[in-house]
Amino acid sequence: MPGTLTEPSLGPPPPIEPVWPFGDGDNSDHDRPNPGNARSASITGIIVLMCASTMTFAALVSAMVVRRGLNNDWTTIGLPVILWWNTGALVASSIAIDAARRVLRRGKRTLFNWLWSAGTILGTGFLAGQIVAWRQLEQRGFYVSGHPSTAFFYVLTWAHAAHVVGALLAVIYVEYRALRFQLGPGRRTLVDASALFWHFLDVLWLGIMGLFAFWA
Amino acid sequence: METAALNSFSTRLFSTGHRAIARQYFFLSLFAVLAGMALSLVMRFHLVFPQAGNDVLTPEYYLSLLTLHGTLMVFFVLTLAPLSAFANLVLPEQLGAEGMAFPRLNMISFWMTAIAFALLLASFFATGGGALSGWTAYPPLSAVGAIAGPGEGIGQTLWFFSIGVFCLASLLTAMNIIATVLDERAPDMALMEMPLTCWNWFVTAILTLLSFSVLLAALLLILLDRFAGTSFFVPGGLLVADEAIPHSGGSPLLWQHLFWFFGHPEVYIAILPGMGIVSEVISTFSRRPAFGYRSMVWSTIAIAFLGLLVWGHHMFISGLNPYSAIAFSLLTMAIGIPSAVKTFNWIATAWGGDLHLTTAMLFALGFVSIFVTGGLSGLFLGQPELDAYFHDTYFVVAHFHLIMGIAALFGIFSATFYWFPLMFGRMLDERLGKLHFYLTFIGAYATFGPMHFAGFAGNPRRYPDFTTFEFLGQVMPLQRWITGAAFCLASVQAIFLWNLFRSMRHGIVAPDNPWESSTREWNAAARY
Repeated sequence: MPGTLTEPSLGPPPPIEPVWPFGDGDNSDHDRPNPGNARSASITGIIVLMCASTMTFAALVSAMVVRRGLNNDWTTIGLPVILWWNTGALVASSIAIDAARRVLRRGKRTLFNWLWSAGTILGTGFLAGQIVAWRQLEQRGFYVSGHPSTAFFYVLTWAHAAHVVGALLAVIYVEYRALRFQLGPGRRTLVDASALFWHFLDVLWLGIMGLFAFWA
Repeated sequence: METAALNSFSTRLFSTGHRAIARQYFFLSLFAVLAGMALSLVMRFHLVFPQAGNDVLTPEYYLSLLTLHGTLMVFFVLTLAPLSAFANLVLPEQLGAEGMAFPRLNMISFWMTAIAFALLLASFFATGGGALSGWTAYPPLSAVGAIAGPGEGIGQTLWFFSIGVFCLASLLTAMNIIATVLDERAPDMALMEMPLTCWNWFVTAILTLLSFSVLLAALLLILLDRFAGTSFFVPGGLLVADEAIPHSGGSPLLWQHLFWFFGHPEVYIAILPGMGIVSEVISTFSRRPAFGYRSMVWSTIAIAFLGLLVWGHHMFISGLNPYSAIAFSLLTMAIGIPSAVKTFNWIATAWGGDLHLTTAMLFALGFVSIFVTGGLSGLFLGQPELDAYFHDTYFVVAHFHLIMGIAALFGIFSATFYWFPLMFGRMLDERLGKLHFYLTFIGAYATFGPMHFAGFAGNPRRYPDFTTFEFLGQVMPLQRWITGAAFCLASVQAIFLWNLFRSMRHGIVAPDNPWESSTREWNAAARY
């Protein structure tokens, strides 16, 4: 549980230790002389990853737009109410994770642990809520094997959920290290990178929700 | 002792050193190109002797050969060698960096690529026949499973998984290259001071990032069509093998849009690294800086940008709106401008320079020649009216083999001769190299030049047997010539292989900077 361990006194910030795989692993050729590079490279790596994911989702959405324009057979699905609760959970989780990131920069590690844990729980709640939403849609007769208008909803939400699962693993890994007070103001590359990707998933989800709520 | 040896083997196999990974990519590509070449020879032989081995080489088997040939060459040779192999080899040192940004991801990328390669080979030998939908895997037949016939079952499924894993590996490689360029560069090196090779790898990595992610989305949809019963690419009322397919509402054209949004940039993913290599090699062996550095950088960016906007020219005959076709055509023609800028700059760099016609330089000059020849036929294909005739003929086969295949391979050969000292600490034999170049240069034109004429005559591609069509009787002498030339072209590659493997062990030990190059990878501290 967060806060059950005694917070050690803050000494000078430890050297930055980027974590596998987005950091300086054991490069057998060289020792990296400038740890600052590793930090910025990790952030760049996450941004590149976000670009790749954006393109994948843009391709899926483009396919949906083109398909809708091909025939007049598009049907809309009424979104289950729980999706709005899930949206709230994801936004709240993003806010908690960002607040955690900010307090870590100021060295408040116990508060960081609480906030990050809250973000993790809310993120897990979002995933659980998505499963409920899929079940509800199936009970109403909307299956993935049905018309493309339904199938695109499943594909986009599944792809998003797969991203959330990957991001949650990173967030939980941060949690694991945070509870051991292994992170701090000088050791927060993983925190910043994970938070950045989490916010990206938040924005992505808002886009998907907007698409299905107001257009598809 | 045995444990130590095992550890050493494991360390080498799963090395995170960028040079070791570069060699791994190089040899994987080499194996792929040899396999792909062997397959093409079997196909060429069958085209002129269709009765020989007819019981084994069925039309479906021919299409499997064609699919594996295309996939090996496009993905595992033209994407891997110019970018993954040679960028890994020298990019960090050229930038003054200490290594790639993410060494472990780099190693993971390679092994994912190796897994993709194994899956591809498995797809060829799968029960029910190897995948036969070509490297474009057009639905609806590729989307409905085994009912569509031989090769559409497990073979096609494995093919899709292979390309999916390859996409993920390529995205990781692109991420590594982009992060290395942006964050690991020496502090004294501005972006506009990077060697042209680095610029081309950087832009190619961005192109990889943008296009492979789209292919990944398309693969996700088609796999759902195959396994989850969705109908993204399968239209309603489709009859296959006298059986109604229980899908509705899909469109095969969706796949074509998504696939070619990846497929056209893929051409530039194959060729842009070669352009960077050629720029550096011509500059080094002309003893002059590359002419028009800034225009070279901006033309690289322009080619990549325009390359993302012209996918529709692969779909002119698919019922595309004529206005869209005009837009795609104009954008396609526009690519000629930055391409011409590059060509003029290469000529201007060499013009009046102190030319050293080493093998690397010869291949670089050969690249320029092949690139111009292949590019000119692209101007024909980029026009909807002409494409309506040339589409799916040998004219297209000639075009893309020259511009994408042979030109890129000349870039790979040039890079191999140029950086061999950094790969193995020795020199390749120059006399054998030059012999190999001249024979390959003649062989390439002898093989692919006449294909244009077969295309003029309306000779369709992908047909396993021309003898059953009366109107193709006139092209058979041409096809026999092409097959003969292809066998000669393939045979002379033995010279390269001999040179390569012999020089790895017995070549002259390379001096510090054998080509008197000015880029950083030749600094003594960065040597192999």
